[in-house]
Amino acid sequence: MLYIVTRLLQALVVMLGVALVGFLTFQYVGDPVLAMVGQETSIEDRELLRERLGLNDPIIVQFGRFVGRAVVGDFGLSYSNHRPVMELIAERAPATLELVIASGILALALAIPLGVYTGIKRFGAASQVILALSVIGVSIPSFLLGVLLILVFSVWFTVLPSFGRGETLSLFGADWSLFTPNGLAYVIMPAFVLCMFQMGVILRLIRAEMLEVLNTDYIRFAWARGLKPSSIYFKHALRNTLVPVITAVGLQLSSLFAFSIITERVFQWPGMGQLLLQAIENTDVPMLAAYLVIVGLFFVLTNLVIDLIYFAVDPRIRSAGR
Amino acid sequence: MRRKPHNRLLGACLVAASLATAMPAAANTLRMASPGDATSLDPHSHNESFTNYFLGNVYESLVARDTDFNIVGQLAESWTQTDETTWVFKLRQGVTFHDGATFDADDVIFTFDRSQSDTSNFKHVLTSVESYSAIDSHTVEIKTKKPNPILLNDLLDLMIMDKEWSEKNGAAKPLDLQGGEKPFAADNANGTGPFSVVSRAKDEKTVLKSNAAYWGTKGNISEVVFTPIKNARTMVSAIISGELDLVMPLPLQDIGRIEKDPKLNVISSPEARTMYLGMDQARPELLESSVKGKNPFQDVRVRKAFAHAVNAPGIIDRVMLGQATLATQFVMDKVTGFNAELAQLPYDVDKAKALLAEAGYPDGFEVGFDCSTDRYVNDGLICQAVVGMLARAGIKANLLAQPKAKFFPKIIAPNFETSFFLLSWTPSTMDSLNVFQNVLGSRDLDAGVGKWNISGCSFPEADKLWQSAASEMDAGKREKMLQDAMAIMVENVCLVPLHVQQLVWAARENLEVVQLPTFEFPLEHFNFK
Repeated sequence: MLYIVTRLLQALVVMLGVALVGFLTFQYVGDPVLAMVGQETSIEDRELLRERLGLNDPIIVQFGRFVGRAVVGDFGLSYSNHRPVMELIAERAPATLELVIASGILALALAIPLGVYTGIKRFGAASQVILALSVIGVSIPSFLLGVLLILVFSVWFTVLPSFGRGETLSLFGADWSLFTPNGLAYVIMPAFVLCMFQMGVILRLIRAEMLEVLNTDYIRFAWARGLKPSSIYFKHALRNTLVPVITAVGLQLSSLFAFSIITERVFQWPGMGQLLLQAIENTDVPMLAAYLVIVGLFFVLTNLVIDLIYFAVDPRIRSAGR
Repeated sequence: MRRKPHNRLLGACLVAASLATAMPAAANTLRMASPGDATSLDPHSHNESFTNYFLGNVYESLVARDTDFNIVGQLAESWTQTDETTWVFKLRQGVTFHDGATFDADDVIFTFDRSQSDTSNFKHVLTSVESYSAIDSHTVEIKTKKPNPILLNDLLDLMIMDKEWSEKNGAAKPLDLQGGEKPFAADNANGTGPFSVVSRAKDEKTVLKSNAAYWGTKGNISEVVFTPIKNARTMVSAIISGELDLVMPLPLQDIGRIEKDPKLNVISSPEARTMYLGMDQARPELLESSVKGKNPFQDVRVRKAFAHAVNAPGIIDRVMLGQATLATQFVMDKVTGFNAELAQLPYDVDKAKALLAEAGYPDGFEVGFDCSTDRYVNDGLICQAVVGMLARAGIKANLLAQPKAKFFPKIIAPNFETSFFLLSWTPSTMDSLNVFQNVLGSRDLDAGVGKWNISGCSFPEADKLWQSAASEMDAGKREKMLQDAMAIMVENVCLVPLHVQQLVWAARENLEVVQLPTFEFPLEHFNFK
C-alpha cells in the first residue's frame, strides 16, 4: 500500500517536471497569437491579445498560473479548438485507448502462438518465413505500412474503410467503437499497423526465451515422464518465459501511445495523437501543456500496473520486495 | 485438414467490413474532405479563409458574391447612397434563422456591435464606418468617415448572427480564449444560410443539412458530411475508393491519378493568391548577407537582376506541375485594379549577371532566404528551385525553410527580421486597395498601413495614387489610379511576382461544383447530376 502511495507521489513529481520542461520549450515552438488571428488583424490587437492571454509574462509566472489552475482541474481553453482542453482530451482519450488496447491484444494474439511455434520448430521453413516477416514488421515505418494497407484493402478491394472511426457504443461513460461490427471494420487496419512493431519484438523475445527454457533440465524430465507435448510447451515452457515478456509488453504499451500518433494521422483516427499534432502546428500552449501532463500520468500509471503484475506472477520478486 | 480458427474470424471481420463500406450514402449526401477544419463555428472569432468560407454556408452577410463573382445582395435586398458617406440598406423580408427567429435590423446592429468587441477578429471590416443605426425593422443606415467606394467589399465577410439567440446563450461577444466562460457559439450555429448544423465534432466530423426554410434558390444537396483528413495520401485514397465525393485541395502530384479515373474529375481554376519574392529594402545594411555597410536591394538593378534570374515559368512547369499561371503583378485578373498592360521580367541569366556587375556585384553575394514549408502549395519546393536558379547568377541564397509557426514570427511586423523571403497575398476584398494598404504601401504602422510590407519598399508617388483611390467614388477613375500605382510597383520591382496559385479539387463525376477565386465553396450552388 505504502508502495502504491509512494509511486503515485512520484507520478505527481513527474507530471510537474514534464509540464515545466514543456513550458520552457513552448517559447521555441512559435507564436500562438499568430495562429489565432487573421492577416488583417492590427499589430495593436495582436499585442492586446498576447497581453490578455498572459503570454508576455515570464515563463515561470505562466507555469505557476498553469499549475495553480491545473490543481483545480482547469486546463483552460484550447487556442486552436476554442473549447475546454479537458473536454477535448476526455472525448479523444477513448479512441486512442481502444486503438492501443486493440493493437495490444492483436500483438499478443499473434506473437504468443507464433513465438512458441518458431521456438519449437526452430529450423522449419515456416519458422524462417515467420521470422523474416517479423523483421519486416519491425522495420517498415508505420506510415508506409498504413498507406499500403489503405491501397490494398480500401482502394483495390474496397472492403475496409480508409479513414475515421466507426459507430460507437456508450459504455462506462465513454464512447467505444470496439463493440460494434461497423466500428471493428474501422479499427482493424490502424490496430494492425500499430501492432506490427510490438508483435515483432514480442515474437522474437518469446522465441528466444522458449529456446532457452526448452533446453533446461525440467523440460527434459517432462519429456522423460512422457507428458503430452502441448502440456510441456504451453504449461511448463511458455509460463516460464512470461516474466521478461511482461516487462517488454509493459514498456511497449507506453510506446504504443507514442506510435499511435503517426497511425492516427494516417487513418484520420480521432484520438489524442491528432490533438497533439494539431496543437504543435498551431502552437496551442494550453493543449500542449495538458497533453504532456496527462501522458506523463499515464506512463507512470502503466509502469505501476506492470510492477504490480510482477508481484502477482513471480513469487520470487514478492519476497525480494519485502 | 485442420482448420485454423483465425481464418473464420478474419472472414467474419471482412464481411462486416464490406457491409460497412458497401452501404451507399443517401442519394444527395455530399461527403467532402479537406486537410483543415473551421477553427470555430463562431463567425467572428477567427478571420481565416477556410473558417469563413465553411461558415458561409451556414451564416450569411448583407452582401455576397454570385457565381459570376459580382457582389449582390444577400441579407440586404437593396441599397442606396443618399450622399457620399451615407448608405441605406433595405433588408430582406421574411428571412428566418435556423431556430425560426425572424431576421431584422436589430440583428444587423447586434452583429456590427459584436464585430467591434475586444474578442472579435473582425474589427477591420468597419474601420471606415463612422456610425450605424436601424431606421426601422428592415432598414439600416451606415455612415462612413470618408467616402468609401468599397464598403460593400468590406461587408462581404461580416456574417450576421441572431441577437436573441446569442444573448440568451451567453454569446453576445466572441469567445474570450483566456477562459472562464463556457463556449457556446464555437460549437453551435444559428444562421440564415442554406445549410444548418446537425452535429459538430471538430476535426472529426461535421454534418450539415439543407435548410428547408431557406429564402434563396439552392441545389439538390440535402446533407453534407464534412470530415477533415490531415494526411493527403489517405484523403486521395478515400475519394478513389468511393468514400468521398469531394476533396479540396487535391495534392498536385495526384492529379494524374485522378484524371485517369473515369468516375472522378479534377477541377481547377486560378485562385486570387499571388506568390512573390520580397527583398528587404528598408535597412541600411541587410541582416543576413555577405554585403556589409550597405543594402544591395536598395539598388533597383539588383532587384531586377533577381527577377531576371528566377525562372518563374520553369517553377510553374516543374514545381507547380502546370497548376499555376504567370503573375505579372501583385494581384490576379479578377481583382479590381489589375493592370493588363504589365508583364513579368523575362528569365535571362546573362541579363541578371550583367545587372549585378553593373551594380557592383560581379561575383554576386550571399543572402539569407526565409521560406515556409506548410503554408502555400509546394512552398518549400519553390524555394529550393529559387536557390538553384539564383546560384546560376552568382547569388548564394542560404535557405531557411521552416513550418509556418516558426516562419511568420520571424519575418512579420514590427521586427521584419528577414533579408529575402517567399510570401503571398490574397486581398480579402478582391480589390487591390487592400494589397496597397497591407503589402505595397509605405510602412506607417501607427496608421495601420504596410504591416505586411515586409520588403519595406516605399514609393510616395504610388502612395498618393492609392490613397486618393481609397475615397474616389468614380469607379473608372478609381480603377485607373490603382492600375497606375500597380505599374509603379512593378516597374520598380518592389517585389518579384512569381505565379498565381490554382485551386485544385477532385470531385465525383456526377457532382457539379462552383469554384471562385476566393476559395469560397457555396454549397447551395453544388448539384448532383
